Amino acid sequence: MRTIAHMDLDAFFVSVELLRRPQLRGKAVVVAGSGPRAVVTTASYEARLFGVGSAMPAAQARRLCPDAIFIEPDIATYRKVSGAVMGIVAGAAETVEVLGLDEAYLDLTGLLSPKAEMRRLIGSIAEQTGLSASVGIGPNKLVAKVASDAEKPRGFVVLSQVEACQRFAMQPPRLLPGIGPKTAAALEQMGIATLGDLAATPTELLIGRFGARTGSWLTKRAGFDDESPVSSERIAVSESRETTFASDISDPVELEAALMRLAVALAGALGRQGRRGATIAIKVRLDDFSTFTRSRTISAAINESDRIGAVAVDLLREFGPTRPVRLLGVRVSGFSAAGTDWQQLALLV
Amino acid sequence: MKFSTTRDDLFKLLQAASRIAGSPTAGQSFPGIQIEALASNTVAIRARDRELGIQLPLSATVDSPGSCLLPARLLVDIVRTLPATAVTLNLEAGSQTVHLTAGSAAFQIRTLRNEDFPVLPSGQAANSIQLPADAFISTVEIVARAASHDETRPVLTGILVSASANELRMVATDSYRLSVKETTVDAPIEGSFEANIPARALQELARLAQLDGANTLSVAVNENQIVFTAGGAVLSSILIDGQFPNYRQLLPDAFEHELRMPVDELIEVVRRIGVVAQKNAPLRLAFAAAELTVSAQTPDVGEAKETIPCPYSGEPMEVGFNVDYLREGLESVGLGGDVIIKLISPLRPGLLESADGAGFTYLIMPVRLNV
Repeated sequence: MRTIAHMDLDAFFVSVELLRRPQLRGKAVVVAGSGPRAVVTTASYEARLFGVGSAMPAAQARRLCPDAIFIEPDIATYRKVSGAVMGIVAGAAETVEVLGLDEAYLDLTGLLSPKAEMRRLIGSIAEQTGLSASVGIGPNKLVAKVASDAEKPRGFVVLSQVEACQRFAMQPPRLLPGIGPKTAAALEQMGIATLGDLAATPTELLIGRFGARTGSWLTKRAGFDDESPVSSERIAVSESRETTFASDISDPVELEAALMRLAVALAGALGRQGRRGATIAIKVRLDDFSTFTRSRTISAAINESDRIGAVAVDLLREFGPTRPVRLLGVRVSGFSAAGTDWQQLALLV
Repeated sequence: MKFSTTRDDLFKLLQAASRIAGSPTAGQSFPGIQIEALASNTVAIRARDRELGIQLPLSATVDSPGSCLLPARLLVDIVRTLPATAVTLNLEAGSQTVHLTAGSAAFQIRTLRNEDFPVLPSGQAANSIQLPADAFISTVEIVARAASHDETRPVLTGILVSASANELRMVATDSYRLSVKETTVDAPIEGSFEANIPARALQELARLAQLDGANTLSVAVNENQIVFTAGGAVLSSILIDGQFPNYRQLLPDAFEHELRMPVDELIEVVRRIGVVAQKNAPLRLAFAAAELTVSAQTPDVGEAKETIPCPYSGEPMEVGFNVDYLREGLESVGLGGDVIIKLISPLRPGLLESADGAGFTYLIMPVRLNV
């Protein structure tokens, strides 16, 4: 039996801002960009009372909570603080999986008192960074994740698999990570409105509607059954390289040369990992900061620099930048394991 | 400007300078080599690119001082083909053509605009630190291979160098392995510094030090630049911006297995079996009671395996490693001694250490097998 913990920093971006501006404590604070299409990245719990939430357009947040204080995100600082927190987290367990800037799974299997270990960790994080976090502990990542979310902020919830099923039986399926709005809508059409309903639905019915893979996956999810390991390795679904030019470039020859250099760097990494991808994409940012991506999926997965470069150059020619280019990037995704049965792992540096 | 020297001395220095003047990797370069004849019967050969600058002293008989900028490639190609005789370079005042003569061969080379060549920093700083050249260079040579060549992650293309008191420490990582060498120096270092220096710069420095044979390196560091002086040679380099990874955090606290093996035997096996680990195919290390089987297999190429004694106990375990990363780590441990191999599990990093307490640590990420 495993023991897995999920640690989630409470309202991370806002909390970092409050450390710098303690006078804003207790107020509705929203971290969001200022552009016309900006979205909310984080809202303080006071702002959440007004219905402001992550990923909501900033304009809508302003309407819901006109008195909220809006702060521009300062990702560089968040990254730095996150690094400090994750340094502490890394010392708490042998296997730690960091997700984004503010979440991590810890494999505590074999520890005599995982709860005490997590309390100590929360204490160290608060002491050294001034940030609070919520913790969920369970027999797998799914239980741990949902438990850490259940009583935010400063939550500390420990559940067995059976307890998790009981506690969240009346909650909508969307509570579970991996079940998005489309799946939720399809489930609702089948009359499945809660996790309890989902757990009670025969797998064959779900397979009939969603296919074999998703169908049986849904049944397992509803039963809080999750075997995925806490893994400290990086398993990326895509690999990319990009470069911002010191001065903007218009010359197509120079742009194509830059693209080829990126393709060489990218192919080197893919080669070492033994991975090949079939989808090649380019990213182009013009001098007015407008950003475009173009992609193409080819019939065979590749990782050779000249082949990646050829597709990338072709995509760039088709796109034909109309203004000087500020940034170019190349990305390969759609990895196939075919041809290799191994993968180079990387340190988290 | 007019001076004479020997073909061999000139060629040796021009070759070193052209590696920097002609380096295509650093983007826009300055394809010229600057030659300045000084009154003191020395000639300064200078080259630079976006990151590095070098100045090398050539002993010569100077008839009249002066300086010019010549195209790097052309000059090297000419001097390479010259017979081993005396060479004379002559630039008449107001002219834009250098006359180069060697025996009865005569060349006239158009100069480049000398004003375009940026002034190189000099190593003559008041606060410079003296380091033993041998210890510094051998430390560079041990860790340099672990530095990344991926220019999209500039921080990893450097070597983190720290010098203070009796210790010189260098760290490099390309994210697949991490190499740390701590070298104890006999005489205490006066002053201290820590800087992320492009691995390229340090590798050039190692070459220069061999060329020059100097015992002491003088180092002057400021916020974004470092200048090394070795004998009469000066090498300057930009420093790499950004936070070098906290490498201590990457080293696991504890390992499951600790094995001591003779380096030579293991390197031989790795090299031999590694021949068929092509196209990045991993080398497989299968540990079982008292033995280690090293094998490799590349589809459409072939396969190989070999078993050697190994003080392993516990459940059998198979770990995959990139053959080059493993071989380079073993080579850095050094021939003739023992290596300590520390392992946790097939998906966790492994560690190589020199058994003689030489202060070398090499962390290597495995290749996941059977994905």
